Amino acid sequence: MSVSKNRATNTFLRSERKSFYRFLALYALLVALLIGFMSYFYYQSQEKLAFSAYRIKLMEYAADQIRQLRYLHDHFPTTSIYPRDERFRSAIWDLEYHEIFSTLEDPRINFEEEIYTTHGRIHFVKILDNYYLGAKYLIIEVPEDPLWSHQIWQTIGLYGGVGFAVLMAFGWFLARLFVRPMRQSILLLDQFIRDTTHELNTPLSAILANIETMDHASLAPQNAKRLRRINIAARTVSTLYEDLKFATLEQEKETEAVVIDMAELVRSRLEYFGILMESKQLTLRTDLRPASLRADRRLIERVVDNLLSNAIKYNRRGGAIEVVLRPGVMTVTDTGVGIASEALPHIFDRYSRFNESEGGFGIGLSIVKRISEHYGITIEVTSTVGEGTTITLRWREVRS
Amino acid sequence: MTMRWRGVVAVMLVLVGAGALHAEDVFDRECVACHIRKKVSLRKAFMNALLVYSGEENMKAGLKYFLRHPRRDSSVMSEAFLDLHGVKEPMTLDDAALDKALDIYWERYRVIGNLR
Repeated sequence: MSVSKNRATNTFLRSERKSFYRFLALYALLVALLIGFMSYFYYQSQEKLAFSAYRIKLMEYAADQIRQLRYLHDHFPTTSIYPRDERFRSAIWDLEYHEIFSTLEDPRINFEEEIYTTHGRIHFVKILDNYYLGAKYLIIEVPEDPLWSHQIWQTIGLYGGVGFAVLMAFGWFLARLFVRPMRQSILLLDQFIRDTTHELNTPLSAILANIETMDHASLAPQNAKRLRRINIAARTVSTLYEDLKFATLEQEKETEAVVIDMAELVRSRLEYFGILMESKQLTLRTDLRPASLRADRRLIERVVDNLLSNAIKYNRRGGAIEVVLRPGVMTVTDTGVGIASEALPHIFDRYSRFNESEGGFGIGLSIVKRISEHYGITIEVTSTVGEGTTITLRWREVRS
Repeated sequence: MTMRWRGVVAVMLVLVGAGALHAEDVFDRECVACHIRKKVSLRKAFMNALLVYSGEENMKAGLKYFLRHPRRDSSVMSEAFLDLHGVKEPMTLDDAALDKALDIYWERYRVIGNLR
């Protein structure tokens, strides 16, 4: 079993992803607008072509109708039957836009246009030279042939869809180019940390080994105090080193899942961090009951170390840390600075630090999240600024 | 018939005559009578005016101006008609009466509402 390979560099960070999708959304909007405009102009031109074919026929109909109107005008009111023709419907309107008579199916008339479509019908508006029966406007209505508009929409749908897909594919590559500088800076940072971590290993091991082998009892109190400080500093650097080593060098290593006695693991890590807690005069309260988890011990140690390290680092001097362990649940509570609610969704982001007062690379919680996700461990964070933070891990307890 | 009865009948005739005269509207009195006398069709004149003015308001305004200031070149009648009858005299009716006469003219001869 192995943790996802090189996940840090092969997948997008949240900020990268956000920029990528924002760019893509903007690009898609612009492409849609462009295709929309092009479709509109294409439709207009095709409509004009279709209308030019209709116009000749409609002008003939209008001429026939005008002849009939003239006859009626001359013989009104002896004859008062409005002329009708089976080939078309018609209406006459006066100069003041009052309807004189109409046989139209769609009475909505656009006097600004000579020819237009309206709800499946074509209207042709003819302005009369002589106002027979008082009519200035003669409107001829014929049913619209749905075939041409259907064909136009089909063409627009096909070419518009293909064009959109091609431009979006282009946009996808463009968006990747857009975030590349951000990505390169992340890779550069990764490489820097990788190189630095590698160089830290030997001197840090030497410091810790020498501290362990020194005879503390033989030292003068002043020197023992100094050595203790060196020990605290070295362990802090060691924790950071372990994180960096995991984040950059070890995450591709094979892992070995074993049943971990969580109470024993937590106890041993608390002992390791004991000297750091003492240095900040923190009170430790523990309530550890037997619990077990199937996972790689090295990885779970990283999780526990990071939670404890943060609880110490961000705690106030003289504060408290409470660690509670129950089957399937572990809770670490501190009395530290707390995390603002708006920062909570981002605390697991890589290179994200929720408190600028303390140093660090901002990778600890991202490691916690990555390992937790891998083993199906859920993380809950509750925090109040100025009061403290509680982090709860929940996992499926191993049944014996 | 006694003299007394003759007097009663005469008074009644005068009253009926006055009533009948009152029943005639301004259009009948000022326009129809003259057109009948000159044998000029009001219908023909209306249809000619409709050919030029088209809408109700436009026609009433155009005719009103013409009736006040009649001129050969602004008449809706044909050249032949004008040669025969000449251009009419300006109307001396007051504005209200002329507007009323034109309203009646439009209502009596209008095409809108009379086509089937």
